[in-house]
Amino acid sequence: MARRILAVAILLLAPAMVARAGDRLELTGLLDLRVVAADGTTSYLNGGLGRTRFDSDHDGVQLGRLMLAGRFRLTDTLTLNAVAESYADGDVQPAGFSQAYLDWRPFPTRPVRFRLRAGAFYPPVSLEHRQVGWTSPYTLSTSALNTWIGEEFRVIGTELEARWLGASQGYNGDVALVGGVYGWNDGAGTIMADRGWALTDRPSLLLGGLGHAHEHLYTELDGRPGYYAGVAWRHGEALEVRALHYDNRADPGAHNSRFDFAWETRFTSVGVRYEPTDRVTLMAQHLDGKTYVGPDSAGPDQFALRVHPCTPWRATSAVRTACRCATIISRTGRTAASIRTTRPTTRVTPSRWRGSSASTNTGSSSPKSCAFAASSRRDSTSTSVRASPTGRRSWPCDTGSRSRRARLRIDAIGGGV
Amino acid sequence: MTRTVDPAAGRIAALGAALVLLALAAAPAATSAGEVRVELQSRDGTPVPGVAVVLEGPAGAPARSSGRHSARMDQQDRRFVPQVLVVDTGTSVEFPNSDHVSHQVYSFSPARPFQLPLYKGAPHPPVQFPAPGLVVLGCNIHDEMVGYILVTDSPFHATTDAGGAARLREVPPGAYRVTVWGPLIHDGGGTLTTTLAVAGDGPQTLSLRLKDPLRRSPSPRPGRVDWDGY
Repeated sequence: MARRILAVAILLLAPAMVARAGDRLELTGLLDLRVVAADGTTSYLNGGLGRTRFDSDHDGVQLGRLMLAGRFRLTDTLTLNAVAESYADGDVQPAGFSQAYLDWRPFPTRPVRFRLRAGAFYPPVSLEHRQVGWTSPYTLSTSALNTWIGEEFRVIGTELEARWLGASQGYNGDVALVGGVYGWNDGAGTIMADRGWALTDRPSLLLGGLGHAHEHLYTELDGRPGYYAGVAWRHGEALEVRALHYDNRADPGAHNSRFDFAWETRFTSVGVRYEPTDRVTLMAQHLDGKTYVGPDSAGPDQFALRVHPCTPWRATSAVRTACRCATIISRTGRTAASIRTTRPTTRVTPSRWRGSSASTNTGSSSPKSCAFAASSRRDSTSTSVRASPTGRRSWPCDTGSRSRRARLRIDAIGGGV
Repeated sequence: MTRTVDPAAGRIAALGAALVLLALAAAPAATSAGEVRVELQSRDGTPVPGVAVVLEGPAGAPARSSGRHSARMDQQDRRFVPQVLVVDTGTSVEFPNSDHVSHQVYSFSPARPFQLPLYKGAPHPPVQFPAPGLVVLGCNIHDEMVGYILVTDSPFHATTDAGGAARLREVPPGAYRVTVWGPLIHDGGGTLTTTLAVAGDGPQTLSLRLKDPLRRSPSPRPGRVDWDGY
């Protein structure tokens, strides 16, 4: 029988308040409380198989997120940024930092401006997370693609961006090349292999685990740095296109004393955000890659995982059926409505090693999901009502709007897998 | 009095602006003696606001100042307001920053390179623009912020208002070169020039209509929030 989840969450008081201490420190706080009524299997966060964040054991008032983000200006061009968060959901670490990095942005003296980041931060993949603390102004949970990015990916290293500033050449837009080198991301793929795709708003913290992955997620097992390289194009304020290739270059045979293996994870991500009018936002992202572990020494327990989570509006091949992930947000005055469709695909296949090809333990899953949402926002309060049918299909997406001030939101989520 | 300017007769010659249709319109009753009113319309006939209009007098004419030695370029909702500002050479421009976030205004335009951090609660001096030319402004924190300051030696300048009209007062008789510049204008690469003979016997109106559509204008969105997330 399909697991069914019906959750009604009323969000109370989710203000993001900005305060300053002098002219050097800028603080942003967010308190997100929800009243949850859920009927579903035990969440992955509590050791179960459920793919939603809250389950039937979480009826009542729950903490959605408590966040404090700070930006401290060391010099005119150098800032220290840090984001501390708490989710109070049984994580081995109740609170901690999700990001902490230095950001150096020298003033441009020519049409190319450089930017250097060093520390721990998110790779520039998501088009949804546009607000302080890597939060989304669009939906409560994010797409499966960016949920995964939030759960298992953090750049602990450096990133260099070179941006051509088009305004000085008469073009309202710019083009950026970005590249990063990092370590401590050999565990990326653990949660994906264990649970598969999910749609939540629960990113990981720098220290500690998440769900079944109790140990530290961000570890270095093989001493090999990873890299990513990408390009971004902004055209006015209407269009932004990003493409990025990520490879943690992990040695899939490396492991620690507890036999936690390194996951070789690589993917290519492409995303488009288009806002044709002031009231409509279209977003679509595609990610295609693979992650695998233990090709040389793990024996018969080894396996490979090929992932094709989101392929919006793409002509796909017949063999590698991909999925669609797109969001449309429409605003009319103070009312916003959004539609999102996601079809992540996970195919688990046995790996080939030493010239032989195994043929067992092959599985795949292709959950479909879609959600309709409508919200009404005022300056001081924000209310959204979301309703989705239940059944064999999954409807775990949700949405909402955020305001810098207090808000009230009612969410109804229905789903089944 | 309304002067009728016939393009075919050469009273107005489009120089480097062949894509612009020049037309004449009856001068509104509000115009006064010595005033030149320049009206700019898009291809579909709607007014084009926020466009710089400069009248440059004949060569050898005595230098004059408009009398305005200070100006203001604000920052509101992560935008430069106004987006286009025209000032006399030597004018000091204030950047007050009405936003609740910090900005770091810069320019590397040859006419006036500068760097100006705008932090709340921290004083910052005005910026003087000693040389004529176009100065493109940016913000080192918010890349989507773009502003323009057109510095000119001519005292006869204005920007078009919401009705697409720019009024230039106390213009002495003579032959002038009219320069129209706006970041959204596609015709002529954004800069249009023509000539105008000011007779000095009454107000004049020069109506211009663009041939190409305007570039897309970035506009504020409802509920605009902190996009510079980290």
